[in-house]
Amino acid sequence: MTTLRPFTCDDMYKFNNVNLDPLTETYGLSFYMQYLAHWPEYFQVAESPSGEIMGYIMGKAEGHGENWHGHVTALTVSPGFRRLGLAAALMNFLEDVSEKKRAYFVDLFVRVSNRVAINMYTNLGYIIYRTVLEYYSGDPDEDAYDMRKACSRDEKLKSVIPLTHPVRPEDVE
Amino acid sequence: MASSKATSHVPDNSVVERRLRPIYEWLDNGNNKKALQECEKVLKKTSNLQCAKALKALALLRLGKETECCTILDSLTLEKPSDDATLQAMTLCYRELQQLEKICRLYEQAVKIDHTNEELHTHLFMAYVRVSDFKSQQQAAMTLYKLKARNPYYCWVVMSIILQATRGPDSTNPQKRNLLLSLAERMINKFITDNKMEAEQEAQLYIMVLELQQKYEELLSVLEGPIGDRLNNCSISYSKLPYMVKLKQWNKVNLYCKSILVYSVDKWNIWKEYINSVFELMQSPPVVNNHGEPAENGQNDLETVDDTPEKSHEFICRLVENVTTDNGYLLRGPYLARFELCSKLMEKGIDTDLLGDTIELFIEYFRKFGHKPCCVSDLRTYLKLLDGEKKTELGSRLIKDVGISATSIPQSGPSDPYALLAAHVLYDLAQLTQSSEHIILALVLLDNLLNNSPSNFHAKLLSVRLYHTLGGGIGAQTMYESLDVKHLQLDSLGYIHCGRLPTTGLLNLATNLYDTTLKFFSSNYKDSSDHLTFSYKFGSFQKLDEFMDFRERLNNSLHYTTIAVDGIMLCLMQCTTSEALYNLDISPKDNKISWETLRDNHDLSVYQSWDPERALSPPEESEEIKLLFEQDVSFLKLRASIVWAMSAALDIVKSTDGTRNKNVELLKGVLKDWDTLEKDIKTTNYTPIKQNQVTLPLPSRLHGYLEVPYFKILGTLYQFFIHIAVEEVETSNGIVSDMKNTLDDMLNAIENRIESHGKSSDPLWLQRVIMERVVNITEVLSISCLLCLLCHNLMRPSQGKKTKRKSSDLKNRELLNDVVTELKQVSNRFDEILDDWNYQNVISELSDRLLLLNLSADGQTVLNNIRESRVQAVKSLKGILKSKSKFLSGLIV
Repeated sequence: MTTLRPFTCDDMYKFNNVNLDPLTETYGLSFYMQYLAHWPEYFQVAESPSGEIMGYIMGKAEGHGENWHGHVTALTVSPGFRRLGLAAALMNFLEDVSEKKRAYFVDLFVRVSNRVAINMYTNLGYIIYRTVLEYYSGDPDEDAYDMRKACSRDEKLKSVIPLTHPVRPEDVE
Repeated sequence: MASSKATSHVPDNSVVERRLRPIYEWLDNGNNKKALQECEKVLKKTSNLQCAKALKALALLRLGKETECCTILDSLTLEKPSDDATLQAMTLCYRELQQLEKICRLYEQAVKIDHTNEELHTHLFMAYVRVSDFKSQQQAAMTLYKLKARNPYYCWVVMSIILQATRGPDSTNPQKRNLLLSLAERMINKFITDNKMEAEQEAQLYIMVLELQQKYEELLSVLEGPIGDRLNNCSISYSKLPYMVKLKQWNKVNLYCKSILVYSVDKWNIWKEYINSVFELMQSPPVVNNHGEPAENGQNDLETVDDTPEKSHEFICRLVENVTTDNGYLLRGPYLARFELCSKLMEKGIDTDLLGDTIELFIEYFRKFGHKPCCVSDLRTYLKLLDGEKKTELGSRLIKDVGISATSIPQSGPSDPYALLAAHVLYDLAQLTQSSEHIILALVLLDNLLNNSPSNFHAKLLSVRLYHTLGGGIGAQTMYESLDVKHLQLDSLGYIHCGRLPTTGLLNLATNLYDTTLKFFSSNYKDSSDHLTFSYKFGSFQKLDEFMDFRERLNNSLHYTTIAVDGIMLCLMQCTTSEALYNLDISPKDNKISWETLRDNHDLSVYQSWDPERALSPPEESEEIKLLFEQDVSFLKLRASIVWAMSAALDIVKSTDGTRNKNVELLKGVLKDWDTLEKDIKTTNYTPIKQNQVTLPLPSRLHGYLEVPYFKILGTLYQFFIHIAVEEVETSNGIVSDMKNTLDDMLNAIENRIESHGKSSDPLWLQRVIMERVVNITEVLSISCLLCLLCHNLMRPSQGKKTKRKSSDLKNRELLNDVVTELKQVSNRFDEILDDWNYQNVISELSDRLLLLNLSADGQTVLNNIRESRVQAVKSLKGILKSKSKFLSGLIV
């Protein structure tokens, strides 16, 4: 049961049920505020009938020319609300916004070890476009998959031809 | 670009830039010392280079030399700088100093000098934004627009007008408000007529103005017209729905919702509006259907209005039947819609027969979604549809369904939720029997759970709460650390641990967490004015109101203010020299606490709960929590009185004869208020909030405060202090005996308490409360010592003028000696009492109980953990008492 609505500042006071999960990062305030100020339409929250936060998505639009695309910065669903199709609903929303912004594609980064997420994105039509070496810092550093899905504007599907060689993080914008 | 007039004896730009670059680099790297040295170097060559001076001010500020920084800033301001780099550096300083008004003055000066500089005007506009001076914002934006006719500037003007109507001083005057809003609307209309509207943000502004004036008809036509097309083709889909609802166009609402639900069965807000519209339509006289004929079959019934519960039920049922799984997941939408329909029917007193037996709705929902944790919160909302008897029936049917019996639980599926549920039940049992054993069991159980599921934060949250229940601060700390609480969570979750730490006596832990918390708040308050400027920069005007509210919410946090005051108390407790005391920054938030706007930002819902109380409303809205807030605010007021009194006393000691009397009056005022406050609170007779739910916080610290005679002791000492300050001849001899009696009573009480604690059959159950009392006593003794110090310093013969010792001086000196001696004795005695605080941490049959729960642990880890908390706390409190006693010895002359 989903009500998607724009994420508001006050939601940060209620998102603990989502963010205390160790796989979800809690960022500094300014990070969220920047997204809210710059791309408010890309920051959506899914609310339960009882008013709890079930999950949220934050993203942005960037790039020039044929690289103009929507980007998923964070997508997270509370452990209590998983496997209810929420992530798909949130992703659909972000893709819709990207379509309206006439983006060529939507992309996201995911840890190569996160099989569950990779499968989910694959089911939603995303392909592994390239590997970004040691994108996630930690002990040890971990590679990321840059996954992509073309928007309707990219008629020839040029944006989703996988690269054969991995790239370094500094080569990604 | 540096204006040539202002910086006439300065080398050309490229040279200046080259010289300044290293300063910026050092500053960026946080090496402020090097930056300062570099500034000096540059200033040696070019002594009047304004930018170097501004950067020097910044470096000084970051090195903590605020006064020197301000001196430079003041003299620079007189030079009327107008080059961007200098102004930027100065802005940074003022921002850091939270003197945002001065940034406005700075740029006002600058635009006068360089009045065609677009950049300077923009900075001036943003400076007004930071201080929420909407009227000046409007003028600055207008000037900008006249300078350069760019659309964003025009929008800034309009937005500044809107804010004057909604948040400015005129917002409370309906007439002025309307005038301003219609002015804003006219400005946008002109903009549209001139065919200048381009961006989505501009259209949003239009929507905002219309919405504020409740012009919903116009809004709908705008959304259906070309501007609406533009909006919907851009990024946000603007829903017409809320306006249709406002205009009570129930027909339209009904059809619109249906058209959405057929494709998106899971949209809850749409379901709610749909069902609401059904009942609205039912009440209103039948209208001729716009679309003529009623539908003959299911195919085109999207075009007919559902104006009866039966039709609505049919619609829901069709969606239930047709509901295809989305990516393999069954969607909850239509199933829950039936509950909503049922709920509405009952509300209106209409028979619910068409839905069948209500209890079957629950059973069906449970069979479909019972394996999801969200099932609980989904159904909880609708439990009100069942009466007591039916609820019991539902309970037993569900238990049978799942296969729970008195001796077994289902073996399949994840066991974490059962363990959490069991921990809750154990807590309930502990409350029922008023004993600690079940809490220990729960802690062992949760520990076991976390061994298998180390990322289960519910278990961690619960452990933190249970450890604090027994005064086991160290265990709570470990759990809290594993939760990795940070940033805004320091506010929303501050109550779970940070707010409790001082009562555990683990003062070092408290000090550290306080530092982190206070740093978060102050740096974010500074940043929050930047966020407002982003909003203008990106044209996200609909976020401005929200940003401003959020900024206030953060700054008015009760937790923040409590920690700020408590942090000062901690410093006072640990303070042992005059110098340290004099250097203490003792005014919490500059004495400006706006009590009316303080708010509770706690996220209590983070605790999962299966308690029946939660079915009625979220915990934040419960009566107990409102009461707790009241008590916490009272507690904070009392604490602030302690700090303010100390601050006033310090001012007296520091002041010369001229201002001393004024400060004495100030102190008298604080003491009088404090006295009244304490009396008032005592007559209110607050009872601690109920502890029947583990998901609600522990009782307020107010009760612990009221058990210790803070004012009786400190008030007496302050009177003595005032006598010395104004050199009154008469000082009552009674002060020593008064003090002695009060202190002795306090110590006798705690001694008895500790003695009986040692003999108690369940000492753990009482540890928290006794420890809190012990901490408070240490606190009041510490502050008494500091007051003696201040009395002592007041009596020091002032250097230079040799006044003849008056007899009152001698008498006061004697009295002080007596007070100090008494206080020293009391501290030593308290120290000894703490030495004797000991008890056996044994719970009989604990291991048998654990065995019954299939837990192999013997519970010793948990028990040791709680014991260790007490041992460490006592050690740190004894340390404070020892140092205070030593320091008192130095005051006897």
